[in-house]
Amino acid sequence: MSDKMTQSKSCPIPTRVLQLKDWSQLPDCYSQTPGGTLFSTTPGGTRIIYDRKFLLDCRNSPIARTPPCCLPQIPGVTVPALHPLSKLEELKELEEEKDLAADENQFEMDI
Amino acid sequence: MNQFEHLKEEDAEERDDVVSTRDDRSDVDGGTVNNNNNNRRKAVSPAAGEHPLQYNYTFWYSRRTPSRPANTQSYEQNIRQIGTVASVEQFWKFYSHLVRPGDLTGHSDFHLFKEGIKPMWEDEANKNGGKWIIRLRKGLASRFWENIILAMLGEQFMVGEEICGVVVSIRFQEDILSIWNKTASDQVTTSRIRDTLRRVLNLPPNTIMEYKTHNDSLKDNSSFRNTKMTFSLKMTGVTFLNRATSVGHRATNTDRQQSLCGFSTPEHRHHLKGF
Repeated sequence: MSDKMTQSKSCPIPTRVLQLKDWSQLPDCYSQTPGGTLFSTTPGGTRIIYDRKFLLDCRNSPIARTPPCCLPQIPGVTVPALHPLSKLEELKELEEEKDLAADENQFEMDI
Repeated sequence: MNQFEHLKEEDAEERDDVVSTRDDRSDVDGGTVNNNNNNRRKAVSPAAGEHPLQYNYTFWYSRRTPSRPANTQSYEQNIRQIGTVASVEQFWKFYSHLVRPGDLTGHSDFHLFKEGIKPMWEDEANKNGGKWIIRLRKGLASRFWENIILAMLGEQFMVGEEICGVVVSIRFQEDILSIWNKTASDQVTTSRIRDTLRRVLNLPPNTIMEYKTHNDSLKDNSSFRNTKMTFSLKMTGVTFLNRATSVGHRATNTDRQQSLCGFSTPEHRHHLKGF
């Protein structure tokens, strides 16, 4: 705070206007809540809100980089799929899936 | 929580004769390869110095060989928990050690659901629910998955308790992003989710978004067929403004159509003829 008493002036919310010619020109922070983490009071109570940029920044912290304990070993998902036969099985599955697609709707799932 | 306990008992009965190495009663992580871990109860919380999430979330992975017949029991056997996270840092720990969805092979899904909610239609939280789905051509899944997760974890959807989880489904010719909510009939909620999706995923204005109730999925035993299609505003020019940065862009019919979907299924062909 400055020593002198200054009369506070009203100040418009800072804005920035961009002319876009293409969707790819949208800035990264578009439509994100500015200012990083927001602990805000919403109807129904306080919620913990993080914007995308803040979450991405947390990725580089040392805590976040250490591997989790108890990560299950799933080849091709959590560990590299290096079993040579598994590649053959993948190709076989791909063939089966293509055949299915020819006959019936390929989005049929067993959920 | 009581309802989930009830489901757990049901599950234990169903799976008695299935995999003998499954350890349902233990609270300690066995870490065995055969253990689906689907009923682990170890309490997860943010450690000191970590940024807590509004909810805990659990990562799941599922996979199906196309020739296998489809039913609830086989689905439950093909899906497994990967881990539960309670903080931003814990989330990155797991996420950074998972293959990106674009690099998954075969007929696979990643699910990120609130702790205690199984990514299944029959779960108590999902019985009256539904999901928005967005079809993506190949090559987009990894980026869109990351953005939808970050939006969910960061509480960007602003629909109270309604969000259940998100799924990315890797399929033969396209990939599908889904977001599940608890009450399919709550149109205020489903509209807000749809609008938030458009915003956080930067969807082009003419992106087709589809909603399907889980009841309908149960009836036709399919996740992605027979959905209700929603079209974005395309009749009039739309100007949207971000209050913080005042980025303004008027989308009109003359804008180049930016399609997320590289090919049309029979359902799409039916709806696209109006364009």
